[in-house]
Amino acid sequence: MDFFIQQFCNGLTTGGIYALIALGYTMVYGVMKLINFAHGELFTLGAFLGYLLLVTLGLAGAVGPALGLALSIVTVSGLVAAAGHLLERVAYRPLRNSDRLAAVVSALGASIFLQNAIMIVWGSQYRAYSARLLPAVSLDVLGQPIPLIRILVFAAAAALMLLLWLFINRTRTGLAIRAAAIDQGAARLMGIDVSRVIAVVFVIGPALGGLAGLMAGLLYGQINFNMGQLYGLKAFTAAIIGGIGNIQGAMIGGLLLGLLESLGAAYVSVAWKDAITFVVLIMILVVRPTGLLPERVAEKL
Amino acid sequence: MLEITDLRVAYGGVEALHGISLKVEEGELVTILGANGAGKTTTLMAVSGLVRPRTGEIRFNGERLDSLPSHEVVARGVTQAPEGRRVFGPMTVEENLRLGAFTRKGPVPPRLLRRVFELFPRLEERRGQMAGTLSGGEQQMLAIGRALMAEPKLLLLDEPSLGLAPLLVRSIFETVKNINRSGVTVVLVEQNARAALKLAGRGYVLDVGRLVLEDLSVNLLNNPQVKDAYLGG
Ligand SMILES: Nc1ncnc2c1ncn2[C@@H]1O[C@H](COP(=O)(O)OP(=O)(O)O)[C@@H](O)[C@H]1O
Ligand SMILES: [Mg+2]
Repeated sequence: MDFFIQQFCNGLTTGGIYALIALGYTMVYGVMKLINFAHGELFTLGAFLGYLLLVTLGLAGAVGPALGLALSIVTVSGLVAAAGHLLERVAYRPLRNSDRLAAVVSALGASIFLQNAIMIVWGSQYRAYSARLLPAVSLDVLGQPIPLIRILVFAAAAALMLLLWLFINRTRTGLAIRAAAIDQGAARLMGIDVSRVIAVVFVIGPALGGLAGLMAGLLYGQINFNMGQLYGLKAFTAAIIGGIGNIQGAMIGGLLLGLLESLGAAYVSVAWKDAITFVVLIMILVVRPTGLLPERVAEKL
Repeated sequence: MLEITDLRVAYGGVEALHGISLKVEEGELVTILGANGAGKTTTLMAVSGLVRPRTGEIRFNGERLDSLPSHEVVARGVTQAPEGRRVFGPMTVEENLRLGAFTRKGPVPPRLLRRVFELFPRLEERRGQMAGTLSGGEQQMLAIGRALMAEPKLLLLDEPSLGLAPLLVRSIFETVKNINRSGVTVVLVEQNARAALKLAGRGYVLDVGRLVLEDLSVNLLNNPQVKDAYLGG
């Protein structure tokens, strides 16, 4: 039981990170019907910007861990959002009226470009987030000691998802995003500026993805210029589990995948940890490409 | 109010409208008739700014619409209930209506919803229901009601009778008449020529991308050519 609680908490935390990345894929797909292949690299960029602030510049040491973290969250989300905005302007907007293949090729090109740019700046070796950024304490969860960082990451992921949910369901811009995802033409007939909706989605998605990168750095301690490939693919799988284009689905899909991976690694085999994701991805694409949520739930979300 | 001059629209390389010109005066209810593929929907979509003309002008109260983005067209007071209704299925009736008022700044005034519910009481009964679960007729009511939420000066209706039972068609056309009487100029695109001509003051007939006839409805109803081709002899 103790072992289970530990693994369950691990799974939730990792799943929270997958969910944050998955939201970027699913929101862009929702309004543009395009997989933003460069999204994984925005996640990597977030991890490296966090490294720059917290390790290279020693922000946490200079102003204390709490303020240092807060400043990193604001800066990383802001800068990665700006990068996402730029990406949309340069790589996608000029192709808005071209055929789909051109946009897909452009997305792949942007992904390769960003990955190489990050490698040129920070090198190809692993970089380590120092273990002393946060106090190494554990909190008691159901009788189990869970490291503070895990709890913080999960709490932050949950808070961000709640904020996004409120934004999507309770604001005018959120309504426009939902409408554009359902029928872009009809949304335009309502007077919705779909270009603006796309621009907003390309700010929010990257901001969340960038923060996920920061969290991954803090949680696992090691980052690398091509980490976005594996995380990107896992988050993409999470988005598919929840039904691509479905925002709540991406949240649920991310958490499910995190749990599945963590419990699978614990009870089946560690060697299978990453393979689990791909087995799930392939099975869903073959058996139920609309995602695992029941049809009626999916309709409502 | 609406003036279209020598409008040409192409999809890819294929021209769908070969230079059409038409005029709608304020307060009119004008119908555009034509068989499937004649270019009726293309004409309305060009006015709404969802397809770009190759050449020609679309003016609304003197101002060029053809270079404006679609949301600016709505903001000028031109809205559309499109072919196939295109309601937002996974959203409630009320959310759909609120989306119709999207270009308004600030909260949606209750009087707008009230007006739509007076025209279509069925929508009030179903206001919390998902639009995708409505019947075809109710979805059409929603599409029209949604287009009214922006308080348009010009309302474009694309085949509102499509796929509906005759009784329902009559009721919806009656409502369209009332909307027009309340001061909204209406362009009604229809394949149901007889019903549309009874409703409209004037009509245009489109045939594979060209305007072939324009006249008062009474004359069109008695025109042998129209009788033959569109009124079933
Ligand atoms: N999105 C599109 N892409 C390519 N061709 C189209 C498209 N929409 C309409 N067309 C073509 O343009 C012509 C006019 O179509 P449309 O305006 O829909 O006619 P109507 O509404 O009178 O039935 C038809 O030949 C149709 O095939
Ligand atoms: Mg049509």
